[in-house]
Amino acid sequence: MKDLVQLELIRESLIAVVNEMRANIIHSSYAPIIYEGHDFSCALMSADGRQVAQGLADHPIHIFAVPYSTQQVVARFKDDINEGDLFLHNDPYTGGTHLNDVLMLQPIFFNGKLGMFAAMRCHWNDVGGMTPGSLSGRVNEIIQEGIRIEPTKICDRGVVNEPFMNLLFNNMRARSERLGDYNAMVGTGRKAEEHLQRLFKRFGDGLLGGIEELISRSERQLRAKISERPDGDYLAEGYIESDGTNPDPLVVKLKLTVKGDEIIADFSGTSAQTNGPTNCGPAMALNAVGTIVKSFLDPKTPINQGSFNPITVISEPGTFINARNDAPCGGMAECKFLIDSVVASAMGKVAPEMTVGDLKGGANHIIISGSDPRGSNYIHYEWPAGGTGASDGTDGSNAVRSYNEGDFNSIQSVEMVEAQFPLRIERCEIRQSACGDGEFRGGFGLRRDVKILGETGALSVLSEKNVIPPYGVEGGSNGAANSFTVIRDGEIIQPSPVPGKVSGFPLKTGDIVREETAGGGGYGDPFRRAPDLVRADVAEGYLTVGEAAHRYGVIINGDNVDTAATDAKRAELDKARISVAVELSNEEMTDGPRRQFLVPKSLAGSLDVGNGDLIEIFTGRGSPLRAWVRLGEGGENIVVSATSLDILGVAPGDRVGVRAARPHPETYA
Amino acid sequence: MQEQKYIVGIDVGGTFTDLLCLNTETQELLSEKVPSIPGSQWKGVLGALEQLGIDYSEIRAFVHGTTIATNALLERKGAKTGLVTTDGFRDTLEIGRTRRLIGGLFDIKFVRPKPLVNRDLRIEVDERVAADGTVLQSVDHVDFAPIVQKFKDSGVEAIAVAFMNAYRNSENEAKALEKIQALAGDVPVCASTTVVPEKGEFERFSTCVLNAYLTPVVTTYLETLAAELEGQGIAAPVSVMGSNGGVMTLDQAAKFAAGTFLSGPVGGAGGAVRICEMAGVDDCITFDMGGTSTDVALIHQLTPRISHSNQIDAYPLQVPQLDIHTIGAGGGSIAWVQPDGTLEVGPQSAGAMPGPACYQRGGTEPTISDANLMLGRLPTNRTLAGGLQLSKELSEKAFLGLAEKLGEGSGTPVQLADGVLRIAVSKMAGAVREVSVHRGFDPRDFALLGFGGAGPMHVFLVAEELSIPQVIVPRFPGHLSALGQLLADLRHDFVVAWGGPLNEIEIADLRAKAGDMQAEATARLIDDGFDENRHAHTFTVDMRYVGQSFTLSIPCDPQTTSWEDLREAFHDRHEQTFGRADRHSEVELVNIRLFSLGLIDKPALKFVSPEGGADPVIERRQVWFGDDWTDCPIMDRTKMAAGETFQGPMIIEEAGGTSVIPPGWTINVHESGSLDCRRSYDD
Repeated sequence: MKDLVQLELIRESLIAVVNEMRANIIHSSYAPIIYEGHDFSCALMSADGRQVAQGLADHPIHIFAVPYSTQQVVARFKDDINEGDLFLHNDPYTGGTHLNDVLMLQPIFFNGKLGMFAAMRCHWNDVGGMTPGSLSGRVNEIIQEGIRIEPTKICDRGVVNEPFMNLLFNNMRARSERLGDYNAMVGTGRKAEEHLQRLFKRFGDGLLGGIEELISRSERQLRAKISERPDGDYLAEGYIESDGTNPDPLVVKLKLTVKGDEIIADFSGTSAQTNGPTNCGPAMALNAVGTIVKSFLDPKTPINQGSFNPITVISEPGTFINARNDAPCGGMAECKFLIDSVVASAMGKVAPEMTVGDLKGGANHIIISGSDPRGSNYIHYEWPAGGTGASDGTDGSNAVRSYNEGDFNSIQSVEMVEAQFPLRIERCEIRQSACGDGEFRGGFGLRRDVKILGETGALSVLSEKNVIPPYGVEGGSNGAANSFTVIRDGEIIQPSPVPGKVSGFPLKTGDIVREETAGGGGYGDPFRRAPDLVRADVAEGYLTVGEAAHRYGVIINGDNVDTAATDAKRAELDKARISVAVELSNEEMTDGPRRQFLVPKSLAGSLDVGNGDLIEIFTGRGSPLRAWVRLGEGGENIVVSATSLDILGVAPGDRVGVRAARPHPETYA
Repeated sequence: MQEQKYIVGIDVGGTFTDLLCLNTETQELLSEKVPSIPGSQWKGVLGALEQLGIDYSEIRAFVHGTTIATNALLERKGAKTGLVTTDGFRDTLEIGRTRRLIGGLFDIKFVRPKPLVNRDLRIEVDERVAADGTVLQSVDHVDFAPIVQKFKDSGVEAIAVAFMNAYRNSENEAKALEKIQALAGDVPVCASTTVVPEKGEFERFSTCVLNAYLTPVVTTYLETLAAELEGQGIAAPVSVMGSNGGVMTLDQAAKFAAGTFLSGPVGGAGGAVRICEMAGVDDCITFDMGGTSTDVALIHQLTPRISHSNQIDAYPLQVPQLDIHTIGAGGGSIAWVQPDGTLEVGPQSAGAMPGPACYQRGGTEPTISDANLMLGRLPTNRTLAGGLQLSKELSEKAFLGLAEKLGEGSGTPVQLADGVLRIAVSKMAGAVREVSVHRGFDPRDFALLGFGGAGPMHVFLVAEELSIPQVIVPRFPGHLSALGQLLADLRHDFVVAWGGPLNEIEIADLRAKAGDMQAEATARLIDDGFDENRHAHTFTVDMRYVGQSFTLSIPCDPQTTSWEDLREAFHDRHEQTFGRADRHSEVELVNIRLFSLGLIDKPALKFVSPEGGADPVIERRQVWFGDDWTDCPIMDRTKMAAGETFQGPMIIEEAGGTSVIPPGWTINVHESGSLDCRRSYDD
């Protein structure tokens, strides 16, 4: 009994330490991205680099990569890790995320023996590179994204390596802000040390024993949950729209195998790394699989290394999800969130009751820089949230962080931004009409207009799902894609030939940067949505009367639902839906990385699509399968490859729904 | 005219309404406890008064702590509210800063709570103020009549006006407020900067809307109560506890309903200050444990800490509140098994019904109270105050059930009960750390003051967990909140958003601004009926390093002639709080704050002490301390005389609370009536 109680005490205490570390960073930071944006995380690692504890606000994208980095430090420095040391790391190829996320590790010694590491990962607003803010959609090599720090000892037994730190800070913009970031991390490490020593004093060696027991309990729990699911292979795929330079998308292919109490995620067949920013290091795939498997199967147990032990990830080095030098990795969040989306698609088949509409994709990095009237330069960075996906019984939420993200802010306060930068936010509102439709609809994204008041400025954007929208599930439709444009003299300008990838687009006084974020994917058939819920959305201005009619088949007269007209409209719209039989092709139809379906002309005509347009086929179970149109001549059926049938789980001759996957849902007044 | 000698404090809790009445002539305290009446709190108040049996015409003042605002919000029973805001920003309430403000990580089905104002009742108007205060678009051309008409047609009961950058220049907001008020008739209207003139639109809008949403509920309740009291012949003025620890007049509360959220719990902190004063203690942490939750607050130099950024439910609330931290652990908290097989306690509570298993009202799950019973800390051979007879068999059965779910190694019911208690104590200690360590204070420098129904039973264990050497248990531990109410001063808070880097602003301006603030405060207090010799003004400034966002509150003498002292005080405070200071960095001032008290006469309190010599031992019992059973005396508090000293272990019973004192503690019955208990630690 004592052990069980002690275990609970240890768990609570460790989470309390992480929370105290968080509070310390927020309150002592100088950088808005930290204190306003909360783009940082804290965690505790074991002496051999396994994850011990994190808090509920800490972002998995940061944390689940820390074990990888810590293990690198342990492997490289072995016995040369001493009290008073500090390590710094941001290199993606050895477990980092993108270069902006700088990890500090402080080894903690108990009675002279290495016991744990305190880990703090903060997004530094600039780490050098070719554009202010370091992130750009148009880079070609990692050197352009800033300074790369392999696991490095920056403080040896209490003595800071000043020349090294100077070298670092001299190569970053806004030096004093960087110093502030660094100092906040150092102070937090000290606080963590203080707390952990107190715990060791109290629990003695039982502390480390307890940690082992907690990890093994988390592992047993997840294994038990996996065992409840049927063995089998579950397939899914998804695309990075563009690496910013090359016209082709990048594909992630996944075969997720449930075998007894294990999950094996095999990403073989995934595209090779590119010279654009959309690559990530080896830590991100496990990170993504861990996040999504946990969310689907075991959301309640505290997170530690045990949650990863039942999971094996296979990714080939040299693919864009396991990139090597010198592939840029600024878009690691875009890659990570794509993998999340693909894993969620597969897990929706493993645990159908949890299946959920897709999300906004990447982080939506927006960087507006320029000079202010006082002559100094500024960098403003924001990363607006989108709507969340719908699931059985639950509409998505509007413009908020999703289940796979920590609870950090995504939109800086208007008053804070305006007081700090020569910018005026003209609106920041819900992006109406932009949800994925369904019996349960996705959440709405947001729309924000940022006006440039200074003389010069530049816009960089790194974003995904600007062309390929978030998918709906169980027949629900896709959410609106992200969109980032500039309004100049009343005209809408595309700041880049590649949507979502903008590098230093020159801005003039009076220009307005318009940010529109994705809506979440819908769940289920929109015609089954309770008409009263549609009416409520219309009453609150989220949807128009026209959208209620055309997208949901709900006819609203004044404030009320016209039930008879609704029934008739739904019957009419249902009849107009297109379903076709699938026919097996004897070739794996692709155009580069793009999957293709052979679509007869007549069908293409009724879908209003042409050669090379994106369509999706769906069964009403799980997520749809998407492909680009290869126009065929005659026939009625849609011709697909064997792998397409496998992914969708249908046989030749089965009927499936088919529709265009448009970035922007149709809007009606 | 009859002598008005009574001051009455009433604390309406979730389960009970506590009443404390002070006879200012004899310094005698009378107490009463009746069940609360949900939905009609004032009926409970009247019931308690009736029980008291005093002549109503002899009541001089009447102070009330109420949970009406909190309940209205949690149950979403506030007013239908309309919002008038700047063009482009009607969704500010909804988007916020896109933080969830609730859990949600790994939770696919989390749903973000909806804003308190429906989207169709958030109306935008064409006005705009720039970040530097320039009016870019005046509000003069806006016709508010159609807006107000729409509100009326929609049944809106309260209106909030919240404009962008109004913290910098409130001209447009003030004009809009005036125009809307003229059109709105009886519907209350409030503007964001009159509620909280601080930067940060989401927090300010949210606070303003909360205020509007609650105003009709709070006002109606208080008016009903005042009318009912008057009907009973009580002419004494009614005042309400505010979240800032001071009392508010009914008028004030009607204008500032968002300032009453902590009306209940703050009383405890106020009472604690008085108890500390009497016991000669300057610094204490309050530990107020009830049936479902525990409130803790830090009192430094006899002043409770104030927090300016708060959150209630999922809504930011930017008003000065006592920095009270609440956790869901109380006597009724249930012990249960987590999915991975580990043991957890709370936050689910058995509440008053069915209550803990031992209450014999159908509860089957083991609670903290059951654990205490299993460990010999509660009597089973006689009834409790209130006639409750506890059943050890049912507690034991509940723990056996828990052991079965835990499986092998869960031990005997007694060991399990001990474990449950330890986990609960650890959580409560965590709450104490939250208000101390997180704010840069070492809890060992504070006394821990245990009160509330379950406080004295757990306060010693919590103290030991944190190596706190001093515990104080006041007389009438179950009524300390009501005591705080009847001793509370009237309080006004003021804030002016003014400042800049210290090397760029003039100290003369600080003096001038502070002078204006104090003049306004003085006028308000005189208006409230307080002569100037009963005013007390305290200034603080919010400071940070240039480039930081979060501020620290630094005490400030407004007559100071140099920035040096403030700068140094800030560096020191930063180092204490965050582990480091940047003494070479420039410091900036962000806000000037003032709180002004209208001091009431503090009646002396005299707790009647028995003559020495009576045998206080009721019985002896085996009680579980540490790892074993110990023979322990059970004492009657009313027979323990001032000046006497006792040694733990010991259980001390009195109406409204049972102190469980482990071995190692020395108990001194202080002349003020409190138990002043000390122990030392090896480290």
